[in-house]
Amino acid sequence: MGDASRFERFMERLHRGEKIEATDWMPDEYRQLLLKLIHMHAVSEIMGALPEKEWVPKAPTLKRKLAIMAKVQDEMGHGQLLLRVAEDLAAPLGKTREDLVTDVITGRVKFHNVFHMEAPTWADAGVIGWLVDGAAIINQAALLDTSYGPYARVLKRICAEESFHMQHGENIILALARGTEEQRAMLQDAVNRWWESLLFFFGPVEVTDAARRMIEYKIRTKTNEELRQQFFNKYVPRIRSLGLTIPDPELRYDEQEKRWIYTQPDWKKFGEIVRENKGPKSRERIALRRFAHMDQRWVRAALARYSEPEFVG
Amino acid sequence: MQVKHAEQAQTNPRYKAAVRDLLLQLADDELCIGHRDSEWLGLAPDIEEDVAFSSIAQDEVGHAAFYLNLLRDLDGEDPDAAAFFRKSRDRRNAVLAERLNGDWAETIVRRYFYDVFDEIRTEALRESSYVPLARGVAKIRREERYHLMHFQLWFTRLSAAGGEARERMNRAVEGLWPEVKGCFSLGGWERQLVASAVISLDSNEMERRWLNRMKPVFAQAGLQWPGPLPMVNQDGRCGAHSSHLEELLQTMGEVVRQDPAARW
Amino acid sequence: MEQSEPRIDYGIYEVFVQKSHGDFHIHVGSVAAPSPDLALQTARENFLRRDRAVNLWIVPRKHVYATPYDDPDFFARETDRKYREVGGYTENGRLWRMFKEKALHLEDIVRSLRDLEGNQKPTE
Repeated sequence: MGDASRFERFMERLHRGEKIEATDWMPDEYRQLLLKLIHMHAVSEIMGALPEKEWVPKAPTLKRKLAIMAKVQDEMGHGQLLLRVAEDLAAPLGKTREDLVTDVITGRVKFHNVFHMEAPTWADAGVIGWLVDGAAIINQAALLDTSYGPYARVLKRICAEESFHMQHGENIILALARGTEEQRAMLQDAVNRWWESLLFFFGPVEVTDAARRMIEYKIRTKTNEELRQQFFNKYVPRIRSLGLTIPDPELRYDEQEKRWIYTQPDWKKFGEIVRENKGPKSRERIALRRFAHMDQRWVRAALARYSEPEFVG
Repeated sequence: MQVKHAEQAQTNPRYKAAVRDLLLQLADDELCIGHRDSEWLGLAPDIEEDVAFSSIAQDEVGHAAFYLNLLRDLDGEDPDAAAFFRKSRDRRNAVLAERLNGDWAETIVRRYFYDVFDEIRTEALRESSYVPLARGVAKIRREERYHLMHFQLWFTRLSAAGGEARERMNRAVEGLWPEVKGCFSLGGWERQLVASAVISLDSNEMERRWLNRMKPVFAQAGLQWPGPLPMVNQDGRCGAHSSHLEELLQTMGEVVRQDPAARW
Repeated sequence: MEQSEPRIDYGIYEVFVQKSHGDFHIHVGSVAAPSPDLALQTARENFLRRDRAVNLWIVPRKHVYATPYDDPDFFARETDRKYREVGGYTENGRLWRMFKEKALHLEDIVRSLRDLEGNQKPTE
């Protein structure tokens, strides 16, 4: 069968609403787009564990200590599930888990802007769980209908666990919101700190070529701006209900246009942060991943050697 | 003699003081080692292990919370206050549990040493005269089974791999050996604890059993046997600790100390 | 230096969870692991952090034989198979009513057997 007719058949399957599986033939472009998306998603989970991880040893009660450990562990678990999906997509290209993780360190794969940022207070741990996870949940829930079967399946599991994360994050910030002046101030500072990053998180307003192709391939079904508007719908009223302010004087809902008007984040700044790992914490967190992966290669080598006795030198 | 609940223990001040001390030993060991384990979050040598290791860390902190709840029943002390605000001289954990993690080899060796010890200790508590403790320990032992299996596998596999891995394992064993004996100490209340059957083994017997368990594993793993366990410089069970514990407590209390009266 | 080191090849193991003795093992995903024993141990935490189970299988992926997805005809069932389904016999209800009886279903039998057990318990 020629590639042209294969492609046609593939597109017909997509239009019938069929799911594509790892062993199916797929256009190279589809594989590349998926791999880029899922690889970044996986790596963002793993790098996303790091800002919250800073607060694991400092969680202020035994219950909070256990809960934040479980929450960060879930993020690593999501990274595991997603890496497995990415690995199967990358296998025909001769890449394995080792390579996909190394790509973080060499800068060949990017991770979400939010995980390049500082989390200097306990309230940041709360706001990450509440708003960053909130944004991530909207993103991930929108991908549940993706045309790639293995991705759809792990997303189902991930979203189920994210529902715990939502409650976890809200519980931390609700305690702070009901707390002392200092606790409320800490919470407000954290919201101020994260707001612009959160808007950037959903990506540019204009539909890029890659985004358009992903929609055509039914890898995703919603645009960045649709998701960002969803985020406003869900979270602006809740933030305000706590008596917190949002650091954007332009922010309002336009009844006529039926959408939120907001000040654009600094696209250039955040673009550089993600593309060039230039955020305030990028280097430090990549160094941690380098330690985990590169500096501890000896551990994996030792185990792998053991399981393959014929390679014992 | 059986002491069925906290109220009954409260009628005997010496018994109560001994149980209190032992509960702190148990809670502080588990809290320290669970805290140290949690420092590996996001940094384990592979992703699957990262997740598995974190579950173990959570189990340990959960066990600490359980022991601190028994302590609250006994003398009304708030578990969070006990966990976060006690001074290092009032902590009863073995120094082994408070030490910095070191590399992955040291982490595995410490965990395995500790888990074998904890298995022997909890075995000695199964028939404890303090019934609330005996009951809890039965549950905790079920969770510890996976830990022991997991670290025994890691311990033997890394050692048997030879090369850099075995070198690191030997180094880790050498570094940790001087602190092992501190685990078996039962602190200032040992005689009371053993005489009133709160625990069925004394420190010498726990040590003997630990050495007997460990020797064949060393042989199997191809590790050098470091000889008899030296006396420890600091007996954590009596409140003598290294600077590592002070640093751990500083970190652990950083948020809550901002306002100890606030709700977090 | 990095390039000269041999590649690290973890195996891929498919993970199957049996939730209770009344259930079969169900595929839930996969882990990368250096050996089957570690795969079993990490699978427990990567897939059973919350759910209960009574058993866990891991199977090296290379030992899984599968039908191809791109040959859906493998599963084709096009002609009428009502004759082998309960739904093919809806007329029984009407026929029994002619004899002043109701149709009997398997579920009724199971339920009455369970009720029987429940009734016997207090006398034990």
